[in-house]
Amino acid sequence: MSEINEGWLEVSEETGIELEDIIRFDHDNKTYCVYKLEDGYYATDGLCTHETVHLEDGLVMDDEIECPMHQGIFKIKTGEAISPPACIDLKTYPVKVDNGKIFIKI
Amino acid sequence: MSLKKISIIGAGQAAAYAANEIRKHDKELGITIFNEENYLPYERPPLSKDSITNKKKYEELSFFSKEFYNSENIQFINKSVKKVDFTNKTLITNDEKLEPYDNLLITTGSKNKKLNFGVDQQDISDSILYLRNIEDSKIIKESINTHKTFAIIGGGFIGLEVASSIAQLGKKAYVIEMGQQLMGRVIPTQIAKLVSSYHEDKGNVILLETNIVSIELKNSVYKIELNNKSTLEVDFIIAGIGSKANTDLFENTSLNINNGIVTDEFCRTSEENVFAAGDVANFFHPFYNMQMRLESYQHAQNHGIAAAKNILGQNLPYIHIPWMWSDQFDLNLQLIGVCNNFDQEIQRGNNLEEGIIYFFIKQKKIMGACGIGKAGKVGRDIRLAGKILETKVDVDIDDIKNKEVKLTTLLKR
Ligand SMILES: Cc1cc2nc3c(=O)[nH]c(=O)nc-3n(C[C@H](O)[C@H](O)[C@H](O)COP(=O)(O)OP(=O)(O)OC[C@H]3O[C@@H](n4cnc5c(N)ncnc54)[C@H](O)[C@@H]3O)c2cc1C
Ligand code: FES
Repeated sequence: MSEINEGWLEVSEETGIELEDIIRFDHDNKTYCVYKLEDGYYATDGLCTHETVHLEDGLVMDDEIECPMHQGIFKIKTGEAISPPACIDLKTYPVKVDNGKIFIKI
Repeated sequence: MSLKKISIIGAGQAAAYAANEIRKHDKELGITIFNEENYLPYERPPLSKDSITNKKKYEELSFFSKEFYNSENIQFINKSVKKVDFTNKTLITNDEKLEPYDNLLITTGSKNKKLNFGVDQQDISDSILYLRNIEDSKIIKESINTHKTFAIIGGGFIGLEVASSIAQLGKKAYVIEMGQQLMGRVIPTQIAKLVSSYHEDKGNVILLETNIVSIELKNSVYKIELNNKSTLEVDFIIAGIGSKANTDLFENTSLNINNGIVTDEFCRTSEENVFAAGDVANFFHPFYNMQMRLESYQHAQNHGIAAAKNILGQNLPYIHIPWMWSDQFDLNLQLIGVCNNFDQEIQRGNNLEEGIIYFFIKQKKIMGACGIGKAGKVGRDIRLAGKILETKVDVDIDDIKNKEVKLTTLLKR
């Protein structure tokens, strides 16, 4: 890993990832989701804050991720819970692309 | 005439979201909610599931906090409404006080149907447990914590969810269902069978096409004789035999009632300035061109919001596609649209790990879909089924069958 990537973890190659795709990334017993939106990549915790369900199975609509279990909705860019039963915000994380690879900082 | 005040009967989900929505648009309007429960509006799904299995505390169920209602100036009157005088636009509370209203929103929800074993067995009828509110859930939870075996009368969603909680707590439930399958005819038989075996694998017993012949209560044990000649011995009986719209209050009034309070797509009832939303309303659905009454979390919320907007004069028809879920063990079942009007039933997926969904298709258009799978596995495709059906596009059966084809591609065509 190059020095400028220190503290960043590699998630995946960028190729093949389409708009509104979700990439699940597991690290250190925790799970994260990286989303491809119109203006770039964003990352949040990978589990819904309502019940522990993987958001990778959810549906991205514009800048929102809808949980596949009870349709709780979060804003991807801020993690804000905007529709119940989800009421606790998701944590968000910085993401960058370097040399065709996606990185997350946890 | 400009609006001055809105009165709401029943402090449930539809009421909470209606009040919240009104405040988003109007900071001045008086909002008064008549609340007969001892709690601020709260969510009911955990009552049969996570609150019984200790995953969610009863104190955590409110939609909004006390501070929220205070700061938004949403007033509660902790009384039940006994009568409504539509001619004089007045509510009469249980302590005989008269409360005039300008605009009225009725959100009284639904009430459980009750079993009656006749006058000789009044004590047995009275001892049967039902589940509708926090108090009921606490009583059921306590009975599960202190006893071992339970008869659940009725294999509908709530009964099965309680049975699932019972098994998760290491106890045993006998589910007695008189129909040929669980969860009634709205759920595909194949899914009902999967749910049945899942319960049996976890230690519950599912008895279909079974009726109760007699019940005896001796030394705190119920002896239940069944039509298949067998006898069950259980510590408690919990009944979930369905519910009906909570409209008792309006009997012998001019309000049009027919399987709930009849409303149009704008949540308007037959009475001027009187609206109804949530479980209690039998509303006109323009998309399906029919009246429908739903008992679901998401509908209660969205319908409450729609009523608020229409009370404020926004004239927006309510067109949400019906959607509901039931969680049992680690399974999540979802239903979208209507699943009883179709010429083709198409299966997508073949195992619970990845989810199985039945699509109901009529003249190449999706009418509804019902799926089940491990938590989270059917949600996306069910949601997309809803979005696709709204667009009324023709679908290719092979695309629906093939899990490799993303349903989003059908939307983009
Ligand atoms: C145990 C249980 C589990 C559920 N699980 C699910 C689930 O998993 N998924 C799902 O989609 N849906 C589920 N539901 C359904 C969902 O909770 C309801 O559809 C929703 O609560 C309906 O909201 P509502 O506002 O119409 O009525 P409610 O939330 O029932 O509120 C009605 C309120 O009106 C009050 N009231 C009635 N009459 C009067 C009166 N005369 N004066 C004053 N107050 C009055 C009642 O006491 C009650 O507080 C469940 C329901 C129950 C009971
Ligand atoms: S688990 Fe995500 S909304 Fe319930």
